[in-house]
Amino acid sequence: MVSLLDPTMLTNIFLIAISGTLICIAVHFIPVGGAPAAMAQATGIGTGTVELAAGSGLVGLLTASHMYAGEPNAPVSLVLAAGAMGSMIMMASVGIACGIMYAYGVGVPFASAQVKRDPITGARQDLYVSKGTQGHGVPTVCFVSGLIGAALGGIGGALIYYVLVGIYTPLITTSAAAVAGVFTVAVFYVNSVIPSYGVAGTIEGFHDPKFRRVLPKDAVTSFVVSLLSGIIAVMIAGGMV
Amino acid sequence: MVLDLTMGMAVLALMGALATIAGCLEDLETDVGSQSNANSQVQLAPQMGFLHRIYNKAISGEPVSYGFSAVTGATVTTVLLNFRLYPLTAITIGAFIAAIIYGVFSTTAHAGRIASQSRFKQPLYMDMIRYTTPTIIAHNFIANFCLIAIAYLQFTMLGFPFPIPFLALIWGITVGCIGSAVGDVHYGGERQYQNREFGVGLNTALSGRIVRKGESGLRSSIDNVWFCAKFGGPATGIGFGLVVFLTFWPVIIFRGYTWNTMIAGFIIVVLMVLLNRLLEVNIKNTYGPYKEDKIEKEART
Repeated sequence: MVSLLDPTMLTNIFLIAISGTLICIAVHFIPVGGAPAAMAQATGIGTGTVELAAGSGLVGLLTASHMYAGEPNAPVSLVLAAGAMGSMIMMASVGIACGIMYAYGVGVPFASAQVKRDPITGARQDLYVSKGTQGHGVPTVCFVSGLIGAALGGIGGALIYYVLVGIYTPLITTSAAAVAGVFTVAVFYVNSVIPSYGVAGTIEGFHDPKFRRVLPKDAVTSFVVSLLSGIIAVMIAGGMV
Repeated sequence: MVLDLTMGMAVLALMGALATIAGCLEDLETDVGSQSNANSQVQLAPQMGFLHRIYNKAISGEPVSYGFSAVTGATVTTVLLNFRLYPLTAITIGAFIAAIIYGVFSTTAHAGRIASQSRFKQPLYMDMIRYTTPTIIAHNFIANFCLIAIAYLQFTMLGFPFPIPFLALIWGITVGCIGSAVGDVHYGGERQYQNREFGVGLNTALSGRIVRKGESGLRSSIDNVWFCAKFGGPATGIGFGLVVFLTFWPVIIFRGYTWNTMIAGFIIVVLMVLLNRLLEVNIKNTYGPYKEDKIEKEART
């Protein structure tokens, strides 16, 4: 029987809350330009926050789950690293394909409208922003920021999965991984949607002034929501006995 | 379960090839059906007085609609596999049923969207629905087939703990995400605005003023997919193929998930950062800045 007041369960709920918050923070790092970026009107990858964060995080979930299934005695650090690796490779591959598209399909140089110089390379940005736009493409700072976000998202997703598999496996051995996976996807989506209201469609990454403005509020909201998700995740285990 | 090196690489190569085709076809389907971010311009056009003959469906965001489509097909496939059908037959039937359901959603989404624009006098062209919907279904069928096949390979050959429908759901979401991020830029940023100068972003003032004349006659969605198949579709395919291939390549090479695997994955990521930087420098040197630096200008004068 699973008890909510058991110290181990409380720790697990807390870990799920932390993981959800990590995913929420990760979304702020990912450079999404939404519909404007799809028309080369804004800097970043031309899709939505939820799409990109969930897309990369779920690849991380796949690698983490694959790893954990093959080596159940692996340390948690390796499971988290597997999640981060999968997410980062996904984000890097999308960034490269997206860059090729902006460079040769639309023919625009990469430029951020939020900073005069790229904080990482020091390259001028403002001179390359075309008229009537808020920048375009994926400059190095956005690319690196996206990778940091992907790593955090991958770690968050892998940690939720790790915790839930630990709870469910003694109760439902064969389908524990699937239930834990579905619940991880749910927590991923919840925590990807919360920052969408804050970033309002577009954010360039950690160098965007919006990042500092909206991150604290979103993180607190996410922690509370993830805590509730954690409680529900433990409660549904009661029906598995 | 980790296969031996030769078999592992063979399965990985097959998965990579399937992913490349899936990515390409997913993007082309969303171009011919006009979905996701780029569709905002098709939706906006009649409000700006630009009536058009472009298919206008946005069932939902691409990741969700492709996740739904792939999981539907994979569920049917799993049921058929339990009836001991051959995997190839089961996957084909599953993908076909999912594609038909997708076609139903496409038609209702298109009709609903056009009906909502009646106040802007945008007509609902029945002939367009007749010849574009089968094209959408055909593209979706191939994408579904590839996604379910990847999920099947992962479940049966690589020992993933998730069932086939759940794996297909994840890959559907991922391919939708990549199609939305990569291929749609070619459709939205270039094809819909071929009348503006090449080499600049779209001026916000031009939003909704999409090109409506085709290479011959009025532009249709079939014309759009013809154009996007030259670059947007293949680039999306390469993007998704890279994701599937590079994510599991270190795992196959290093015989499982070890710290060496993680280091190899990290090196791949660093190489991609460098590649992106090279691309950035190259493109800036090729196209040059749009304006001069004020200090440099003053110093010269």
